[in-house]
Amino acid sequence: MASVVEVERLSKHFGRVHALNQISFDVQEGEVLGFLGPNGAGKTTTIRILLGLLHGDGGTAKIGGHDCWTDHVRASRFFGATLEQPGFYGFLSGRDNLRQFARMLGPVDEKQITELLDTVGMTERGDDKVKRYSMGMRQRLALAQALLGKPRLLVLDEPTNGLDPNGIHGLRILLRKLATEQGLTIFFSSHLLSEVEELCDRVVVLHRGEVKASGPLSELMNVKGFRYRIDVSDVDKALEVVRAVDGAKAEPGTIKDSINVTADTDIARLVNYALVKAGIGVDQLVRSEQGLEDVYIQLTGVPVASPLSSPVPPAPPVPPVAPR
Amino acid sequence: MSILASLIRNEFEKTWRSRWIVFAVLFGLFLLIAVGLYAYFVYREHRWTPPPSVAWQAQLRDEIASNQQTIVNLEQVKQQAQGQGGTVRVGGRNGPGLSIDDAIAQTQQAIADDQYLIDHNIAPVQSFAVAQASLFALGGIVMFLLTRIFGWLASEQIAGERSDRTITILLSRPPSRNQVLFAKAFASFLISLVVVLLALVIIYAMFAFFLGSPGSLTDQAAVAMDGAKPLGPGNLLQMPIYLFVFMCIGAAMLGVLCVQGMSLLISVVTGRWAAIGITLALLFGAPLVSTVVAGILFLISGSLGSAHFLNYLFFNVLAPVGSVAPAFGNSTAAAGSGINEFTFELETLAVWTFGFFLAAWLLFRRKQEAG
Repeated sequence: MASVVEVERLSKHFGRVHALNQISFDVQEGEVLGFLGPNGAGKTTTIRILLGLLHGDGGTAKIGGHDCWTDHVRASRFFGATLEQPGFYGFLSGRDNLRQFARMLGPVDEKQITELLDTVGMTERGDDKVKRYSMGMRQRLALAQALLGKPRLLVLDEPTNGLDPNGIHGLRILLRKLATEQGLTIFFSSHLLSEVEELCDRVVVLHRGEVKASGPLSELMNVKGFRYRIDVSDVDKALEVVRAVDGAKAEPGTIKDSINVTADTDIARLVNYALVKAGIGVDQLVRSEQGLEDVYIQLTGVPVASPLSSPVPPAPPVPPVAPR
Repeated sequence: MSILASLIRNEFEKTWRSRWIVFAVLFGLFLLIAVGLYAYFVYREHRWTPPPSVAWQAQLRDEIASNQQTIVNLEQVKQQAQGQGGTVRVGGRNGPGLSIDDAIAQTQQAIADDQYLIDHNIAPVQSFAVAQASLFALGGIVMFLLTRIFGWLASEQIAGERSDRTITILLSRPPSRNQVLFAKAFASFLISLVVVLLALVIIYAMFAFFLGSPGSLTDQAAVAMDGAKPLGPGNLLQMPIYLFVFMCIGAAMLGVLCVQGMSLLISVVTGRWAAIGITLALLFGAPLVSTVVAGILFLISGSLGSAHFLNYLFFNVLAPVGSVAPAFGNSTAAAGSGINEFTFELETLAVWTFGFFLAAWLLFRRKQEAG
């Protein structure tokens, strides 16, 4: 398969801030690539460089073999794109906005505009002025705009922002359909790991301007060990006991009266034995596959969608417990 | 080419759909000016209908008679002032005032000029309805207002897209930045041309009414090369009146283009409200400051010419038509009058306009949109 997007040692800094530090990745034709990273990782900067809105300070960014800055006109014929917080002309209707952008690509195809409005579920509101649209409706219109001119590559920056659960579900189905039925290449940036996990063939994880990992999802998620959720009668004491088990890492669970344990080897029996021996009631011990979320946290050190922004304090030192 | 035409069409649609109320207000303003002129006509002429047409020679003779009466009045004022041991200054069109002797000399010069034109059968440019309309519509308060409005609209061209976040789509699509910028500048210019022509037509209709005839469009008309010197063979430019009108339209549109270039340059580097604020502050504030400076220089030197260098600043020469003939309170800083001053102002404007567009183009093609 040929590469539609080629990013090679791309760097970008804003003043003293290094937004991108020699990142390299590519997107193969027909694949759905997830672009992951916490806020400030450099995702949007990368996408802006690909769209020809910024130019890199070093390295190259190409789409369809054309440099995104010096040969932008040719590169831009390959893709349609939506950026975070899409902007439209509020005084025009959704349909008129699409007409405006369609004219930039050539003669306006009214049939295609009607079909696109239908595709994104905006048929009924297409003739309303955009200033009356909700954020979710703007996102849908942005997707329709990106699909104008039948591009080979779709670049989506946080396309689920502002969408309700139904909208997110609908978007997922639509993107999967576009990828499978039309062979569209999709470059998809999102914070919603579940979306990326369900949609993408491959992911690139970006953190502080550097690529931390890239590859097929299956590979990324299989090499990272074991994870357990244990429902216990005394969380504090259980944490103390489990942390003493060789190779185990424990933290309070998100579910009440539970702890999460990770380890490189299967230590389920050891942990269960230690807890029971310490007199802690174990209601259940669930072994789960490593999810993308775990990989993401391990690579970036940033909790996903943490309701509290304050960092988790380090665990207090625990005296080792000799195994019996 | 088709993409460029599409971009221009987009600009027309966006401007009309977002700013139609501005154009409606402008049209209402033109009608208001027409009604105001008509009310003034009725008040002055004591009639509702057009007067009988008067030949330009008769107009000049009336003007000579009127000027002779003015001299008599000025002489009387001078004698009274001398009797009281004081001095009197009279208000001048282009400066803080003239001594009474200078005013008398100026009026005598006007009589001599009129007589020269009658003697040589040369029609003055002001004797044509269309020329008067051109001087009024393209050289005075109307253009002052229009250039500010066009400046405001142009200042939103790129800055508005940035504030609306539509610039990301605009610049990520196939049209090049050069095409985007050209389409915006061209559309702005065409829209302003239509508005200016509409203003000219409405005001021409009014002047034709006041003079009792639309007047000739093909006769020869004369303009002084240097309005401060006596008219004569070396100080008179003759041309068909339609050419004079085209010249005025061209000059007025160069002023508009200069403002649009400046606004576009500001628009390239700022957001919407900053661009509008800076543009309007420059267009309204700078001439005001310049007028104050011109006044101070006159007080120090006693000469109107001492502040003429201020006309190298673009905001003082945005309506160069006013310098062809000093009519209707043209406010150019310490301007002279006549074709020589007109040419100087056009050259000044051309340099500024080229500079503004060049700077806007250079900045826009390298401008990074970091969001």
